[in-house]
Amino acid sequence: MRLLDAELISSREILPAQWLQAYHAPSLAGSVRAGQFIHVRTPDYSGLVLRRPFSVNTVDRATGTVTIHFRVTGKGTEWMSRARQGERLDILGPLGRPFEVNPRTRHVLLVAGGLGMAGVRALADEALEAGRRVTLLFGAASAAEVYPTSLLPDEVEYVVATDDGSLGHRGYVTDLVADYEAWADQAFACGPEPMLATLARLARGRDERLGVAHLGRKGGRTRSSAASGSAQARRRAWLQVSMEQNMGCAVGACLGCVIHGVDGPVRVCREGPVFAAEEIAWGEPA
Amino acid sequence: MKPKKRVVTNRSTAADPYAAPRRRPALAGPVQARPRGPARSDAPAIPVPSRVADVDLSVDLAPARPGALALRNPILVASGTFGYGVEYGEVADVQRLGAICCKGTTLRPRFGNEPPRVTETPAGMLNSIGLQNPGVDAVIEKYAGLWATWQTPVIVNVAGESIEDYVTVVRRLDGVPGVAGIELNISCPNVGKGGLQFAVDREAASAVTAAVRRATDLPLMVKLSPNVADVRAIAKAIEDAGADAISAINTLSGMAIDRRRRRPLLGNTYGGLSGPAIKPVALRIVYEVAQTVRVPVVAIGGVSGLDDVLDFLMAGASAVQVGTAIFADPLLPERLIDELAAYCAEHGLASFRELVGVALPKGRDRPSVKGVEYRP
Ligand SMILES: Cc1cc2nc3c(=O)[nH]c(=O)nc-3n(C[C@H](O)[C@H](O)[C@H](O)COP(=O)(O)O)c2cc1C
Ligand code: FES
Repeated sequence: MRLLDAELISSREILPAQWLQAYHAPSLAGSVRAGQFIHVRTPDYSGLVLRRPFSVNTVDRATGTVTIHFRVTGKGTEWMSRARQGERLDILGPLGRPFEVNPRTRHVLLVAGGLGMAGVRALADEALEAGRRVTLLFGAASAAEVYPTSLLPDEVEYVVATDDGSLGHRGYVTDLVADYEAWADQAFACGPEPMLATLARLARGRDERLGVAHLGRKGGRTRSSAASGSAQARRRAWLQVSMEQNMGCAVGACLGCVIHGVDGPVRVCREGPVFAAEEIAWGEPA
Repeated sequence: MKPKKRVVTNRSTAADPYAAPRRRPALAGPVQARPRGPARSDAPAIPVPSRVADVDLSVDLAPARPGALALRNPILVASGTFGYGVEYGEVADVQRLGAICCKGTTLRPRFGNEPPRVTETPAGMLNSIGLQNPGVDAVIEKYAGLWATWQTPVIVNVAGESIEDYVTVVRRLDGVPGVAGIELNISCPNVGKGGLQFAVDREAASAVTAAVRRATDLPLMVKLSPNVADVRAIAKAIEDAGADAISAINTLSGMAIDRRRRRPLLGNTYGGLSGPAIKPVALRIVYEVAQTVRVPVVAIGGVSGLDDVLDFLMAGASAVQVGTAIFADPLLPERLIDELAAYCAEHGLASFRELVGVALPKGRDRPSVKGVEYRP
């Protein structure tokens, strides 16, 4: 974790009100892993007192750049969307814990809902680089909001679902998972909480449906042998999810981002944002 | 050697909190505390500094226990915004801070409130953390040993639902190496009084302060809530009950609506407002309290730059706490220390303490009520 001053090198609207921006931040590019995030300061402190958290969308170590992908949802992101090339942003990062891919995993399933693409996008690159095969299931409201194929590596198998059926499968992205659950050694997801909760339910039933043992659970090891929140717990999980929550500090100090974990409260910014699905107490009273 | 129990000489039994007329409030003493003596303006024996390094930033926040809460500088970090001092360790230099007020600590572990717990508001934010903490024993076990190795004192912020809770927590903290003082968060519902906050009830505020005072010789600071009709009576009662210092303010009660879902946004419905939006309120309260009590006043509320620090000092604060602003700028507290020293050097002040209270009404025996009558 560091405070750094990063220069905006490109910015474009890839979808209506959704922006892709590249920043020159060599120390960040050199250390960040897929699933981690950054906390970006907006300049108008008197009006906007909080930083904005963004997943690191892609990383280019060679050029020392990272990209973020965001939707304009308020004043802070609106200001960011208007930032020009050459502008410098104050960034705190990398923050949080990354996705953990089991060394034995060969087939990686990514599941993204809408802006959740930004949460899993970097893992597609990381997994391909490590010689794994990647299928990405993506869900959006309609064709107009579907993440452009041109922004994905060619090697990724890209399967789309839209709520209105204007592109790909008509329905939820979670409907598509059944076709891949046997193929995938591990799955990684980011998106709206109901989507993640559905995936977690599917993941729980998967063992029974397929009659397979969990990765890394051989030799009589049980869930409790890997401390909740540990890299080990995530590495062994079939499904890892990247959770979202409003944040204050993003370093674990304010307890503003806390959600229910099965073993008690967890900070999305510190114990997460990536969790093994079974570490989250889904559907607790909200 | 433990300092002697403080002899409270000014305990007022009269209902009128202003019964004992005061000169100017006594400001926090220098670290080499001398007995309360003549007004500072009579003793300009210290040479005027020309260099930033010569400026005296030290301040004693518990003059009645000389040295027990002697800070190197008057910039503290506010409870709940800096965790236990370890979370920002990779980016901020905690060793430079005047003091750290840690997250609110209760007798038993608390989960806190349902998410979402924070949201941004115009020039501020709302939080409804709900005092999540692992309980006093876990706090001592996890952090006190580390705190004891720091040069920055850690003041433990204590919360409770009954006087017994507060007293038990404070007893456990008493004598623990690494615990430099107590800040009582009295903005908590008092279960014994049907959930009425200690902070809004003069008798309860006084009773909890007195009970804690009897339980420990640690420096004791009591934190005021702004959500009261007249904070002066409460501040006076707290001073009379033996507090060494008063900090003000805690957050203002507020809420936000989630328009899309058409319901309150925060999981807890209500939250506490903090940030620049509350600074004028904090300033007014510090100004009122500084005229009412003689113990040092520590200002909290919207500090986000040197101007805010200067305003609070001039309004009578002996030190300030930085809270919400840390989230945007974790290095702000350190920078404020440097900027305050530079300001003093530039203005020929040997100590920042020369600024404390300069904007308070002068030449009055009784605290000013000007403005206070204006309650729209
Ligand atoms: C996220 C958050 C958590 C807080 N937790 C506590 C707490 O546990 N105890 C307490 O006395 N005050 C707590 N506060 C109040 C602050 O210490 C401070 O009084 C208030 O935020 C006003 O200062 P500011 O405007 O500089 O933030 C909290 C404030 C925030 C923003
Ligand atoms: S945002 Fe402050 S603890 Fe996570």
